[in-house]
Amino acid sequence: MADLVCRGLRDGVLEGEYAPALLIKDTLQISLGVHVFNHFLLSLSSNISSGKAQSRGLVVVAFACPPCFYVDLLRSRGIGVASLSNWIRIVDCYSDPLGWKDKLLNSGFSAQLSSKSHDKSSVGDVECLFRDVGDAEKLSSLVFDLGRGLVGPGKGRFSVAIDSASELLRHTSLLSVSSLINNLRSHDQVASLFWLLHSDLHEPRAILSLEYLSSMVAGLEPIASPSTDAQRNHHNHLFQLEQNSRRGKLHMRLKRRNGRVKILFEEFDVEQGGIKFVPVSLGNAIRNDAILPKVQFNLQLTDKERGDRAKVILPFEHQGNGEDIKIYDGRGPIADAPKNIFPTPRLDESASATITTSSNGGKGEIHYFRDSDEEALDTDEDPDDDLDI
Amino acid sequence: MMAATGTFTRNPKSFSHSRHAPPPPGLKIGPNGTPIVSTGIQDLDQLLGGGVPVGSLIMVMEDSEAPHHLLLLRNFMSQGVLHRQPLLYASPAHSPRAFLGTLPAPIPPRTHLHTPSQQQEEDLRIAWQYKKYFGNEQMFVESHRGNHWDFCNEFDLRKSLDRQLLGAAHIDCVNLQDVEDLASLRDRCSAFLAPFARTEEGITCVGRVAIQSFCSPQCRYSNSDWDMLFFIKSLRSMLRSSNAVAMITFTPSVVSSSSVCMRWQHLADTLLSLRTIPDDDKEMAKLLTDYQDMFGLLHIHKVGRLNSQVPVILEATTYSLKVIRRKTLVLERLNQAPVDASGGGSLGGCSGSSSARLLDF
Repeated sequence: MADLVCRGLRDGVLEGEYAPALLIKDTLQISLGVHVFNHFLLSLSSNISSGKAQSRGLVVVAFACPPCFYVDLLRSRGIGVASLSNWIRIVDCYSDPLGWKDKLLNSGFSAQLSSKSHDKSSVGDVECLFRDVGDAEKLSSLVFDLGRGLVGPGKGRFSVAIDSASELLRHTSLLSVSSLINNLRSHDQVASLFWLLHSDLHEPRAILSLEYLSSMVAGLEPIASPSTDAQRNHHNHLFQLEQNSRRGKLHMRLKRRNGRVKILFEEFDVEQGGIKFVPVSLGNAIRNDAILPKVQFNLQLTDKERGDRAKVILPFEHQGNGEDIKIYDGRGPIADAPKNIFPTPRLDESASATITTSSNGGKGEIHYFRDSDEEALDTDEDPDDDLDI
Repeated sequence: MMAATGTFTRNPKSFSHSRHAPPPPGLKIGPNGTPIVSTGIQDLDQLLGGGVPVGSLIMVMEDSEAPHHLLLLRNFMSQGVLHRQPLLYASPAHSPRAFLGTLPAPIPPRTHLHTPSQQQEEDLRIAWQYKKYFGNEQMFVESHRGNHWDFCNEFDLRKSLDRQLLGAAHIDCVNLQDVEDLASLRDRCSAFLAPFARTEEGITCVGRVAIQSFCSPQCRYSNSDWDMLFFIKSLRSMLRSSNAVAMITFTPSVVSSSSVCMRWQHLADTLLSLRTIPDDDKEMAKLLTDYQDMFGLLHIHKVGRLNSQVPVILEATTYSLKVIRRKTLVLERLNQAPVDASGGGSLGGCSGSSSARLLDF
């Protein structure tokens, strides 16, 4: 459930472990990742500002939206309005990511360009302009500085949210982004982090690498799978477009500490006021046949069963225990056999011997019906003895 | 150990020419006369035919969602430390030394009361009338449990290895994030393996190399697939000419192309892969008896044999990973839960929306 993820982000990290990292990925088909990201951002913010979370500050690296968007979002939900600068910092990578405006202004075209980019908005404390997104190391040191500034140099922890890792991947290589995320996760003062990714913009390897580095993956999927019937395609297509612009399914994979993976499905609905999650009953079974091989029944015996099997007296003449050969002909009981043997009327000579074994609490019972009485008593002859070779 | 019957037996090579020198700890003669060392996990040793042949490479394919490969690595490294075998450990973590603090401590050996009964169980119980013709001749039984505590210890995962033992051990740590290019790593490995070069005198000491998550995305060389393949190939050739064993773990999903992944797998002598299992999965709980206890699956793709062309074909290749009483790691065969005869109909009914049955027999 999305609550589980929110709780994971809120609870943060245990001593000596890597910080929980959430990856939100969406596709062109269902591009509501931003809403899901904002939902987690809001829940974490409210936890931080009310003091329930392990982290005491939040650093947002904003690529896709300007910082004022986030400030307005927080204000509209009434989260920590009074003291925003106490617990949040927004790195502005939206206004001038590559420093072009700055270069243009400096090189003398200032008359034409308005200097709007230099205006700090009213919450000047909160923002921090960053002009060099190609350098992931600079970005990470800026994030660390801001975070440390928020929570102090001691044991305090802060959380990090990256608006869109897709934008980051556009400017730098996968290697830098991976090492950035790895450094964030292993840093002493980071409690949790989460980021958004648009999975159809990148190679599968990039997505798999980021999934490898994260501890929780939330993937957005369309509710209905695309219909394959060509005739109804047009209708369905429009209907799906409309549906996918509001509703979708969230497929979450959480890596647990015991090494198992928790897989959850939820449907969500984007409304005016926010986003609503509805847990889905798992009608479709997860395909496990890819993981499991053909599994056999357990044919191995426990020690007790082995002991019981050893105690069963076999109906053959040679018990192999060095005693005299006693020929048992099914007519009467033998001295050491259980007493349950009764003579049956012989139906015909070709009645086959039936041997049944049943273990009732450790005793083996064997009912041995001999083929016929006419055979010589000593049938111990080796039939191969007749051969003259 | 010579059987009375005239079957072909191979004379095991002596450890050293002078018969008075004791064999080095942790080394014994395995199938086909190759010296073998232990992986640290008794069940795994048994599956691999007693242990890992000296000079071979174990490749472990991780699952990107689970840290089970760390368990295998820990046991492997701990076993090496206990047998005083020098160790080279490379990892992409910030401080590889910190990982050494998580190596498990061995459980002191207890007296084994059930070994004689195991011997009996392995003998074929002949229960037919020709038994009188068999005198004292017994089937040849290889005693696995003879002196296994010397060779492979059981480890307690809750306790960590004694600090003094760690301090006295010869362990080199390499941080893979600092590695600029693989040539320097290769030089480091060859410098480490130089003292273990094979000589005429036999084996005096065995070295171990453990490389964790070799193709992590944060390592600088992770884009150059062919360099990584070349490194593994040269490491393997170095191992062949020295008395050492290596275990490398990697994540197949992070490697860029499937052809590189296949080549990587083919470079291994012994290939294992780990899979994770979903949590709270009712379908799987119905299917397997031990679902609650196990936390992952180990699949054995290939078992290495260095001087034989006969392949090893195991009865079952997938095993479940379990930790017994939170202490020891065991591998067990997967067993299907008893299927309720009356429940067959309801099973089919509720999974009507899903496609084919989970397993077909």
